[in-house]
Amino acid sequence: MVVYSFYIFDRHAECIYKRRWLPRPVSTVGSKSSRPTSEASAPGLPATLGQSARTTDDDAKLIFGTVFSLRNMARKLGGEDDNFVTYRTSQYKLHYYETPTNIKFVMLTDLKSPSMRVALQQIYINLYVEYVVKNPLSPVEHPGGIGVNNELFEESLEQFVTRVLS
Amino acid sequence: MSSATKASRIGEELWKTRVDKVNAELVTLTYGTIVAQLCQDYDGNYHEVNKQLEKMGYNIGMRLIEDFLAKSNVGRCANFRETADMISKVGFRIFLNIAPTVTNWTSDNNQFSLIFDENPLADFVELPDDGRAQDELWFSNILCGVLRGALEMVQMQIEAHFVSDVLRGDDTTEMRVSLVRYIEDEMPPDEE
Repeated sequence: MVVYSFYIFDRHAECIYKRRWLPRPVSTVGSKSSRPTSEASAPGLPATLGQSARTTDDDAKLIFGTVFSLRNMARKLGGEDDNFVTYRTSQYKLHYYETPTNIKFVMLTDLKSPSMRVALQQIYINLYVEYVVKNPLSPVEHPGGIGVNNELFEESLEQFVTRVLS
Repeated sequence: MSSATKASRIGEELWKTRVDKVNAELVTLTYGTIVAQLCQDYDGNYHEVNKQLEKMGYNIGMRLIEDFLAKSNVGRCANFRETADMISKVGFRIFLNIAPTVTNWTSDNNQFSLIFDENPLADFVELPDDGRAQDELWFSNILCGVLRGALEMVQMQIEAHFVSDVLRGDDTTEMRVSLVRYIEDEMPPDEE
């Protein structure tokens, strides 16, 4: 399996960490992008246009919008405790894990990958809490990703993902 | 199984398996030193000391909740009563190895008291004998802040304060906790 990218969003809806492992696949206009597009996902989501000049910031915003809406829809239909775990398109799989503190972990992988829910939870427990939250020098909140982008966290994440990959 | 018994079990289990222990006296003495230093820095202005302790606690609580969740792996509480049991039987248990009694609920289930039969922060402590500390200083006020910070991160705005303290000569040590509101999800800022 292949991990394409990884994002963390904080409770203020800000993307505090993003990481890509593969160059963006050349997207043919419209549906064949490896980013969340409207295909094969829930109705009512804003359809992404066939823009070719999106930045990684735009990607992060798109992904946030998508998981935010999906999660709210899941809660409306399935009750307060319900949440979605993953969705797939014909090109990629998006895995989602949210902590009770409203931190959202998102990972995009290829279609062959098994559920990454546990992996995302492990990233939260063993990497995020250990190296970001418990780091006395990092601020409590991370506007602009300050404090999350420390070496220990990034390296362990790199290692974790390479291990999961193999 | 009531939520209290369930929480007790979780707390017990975590305390045994997941928690690193430190010497209790180290905690007591470190905390005592901080309070003593604050009393000095603020020149015996105990209201200010209470406020600073609360603020320190708040900053601790905002981080501690993540450690709590990582260790306990518990989900969201269904109501404020469940939250109270979780605080007492799991939170206090794994971080201070005590389980204060939850009691004195208001009829709307939005306010309760925590009665501390033991308080590791206050072992060996005597308040300054200046005639004011007995009436003004809440020695363990940091705990109020910890609760406020921790609960804010799980979308609850609360208010917590001590109403009595054995250090002041009261019969019990009691903290009053009130739910102010549940905090709504934040939306991303509008672009266009």
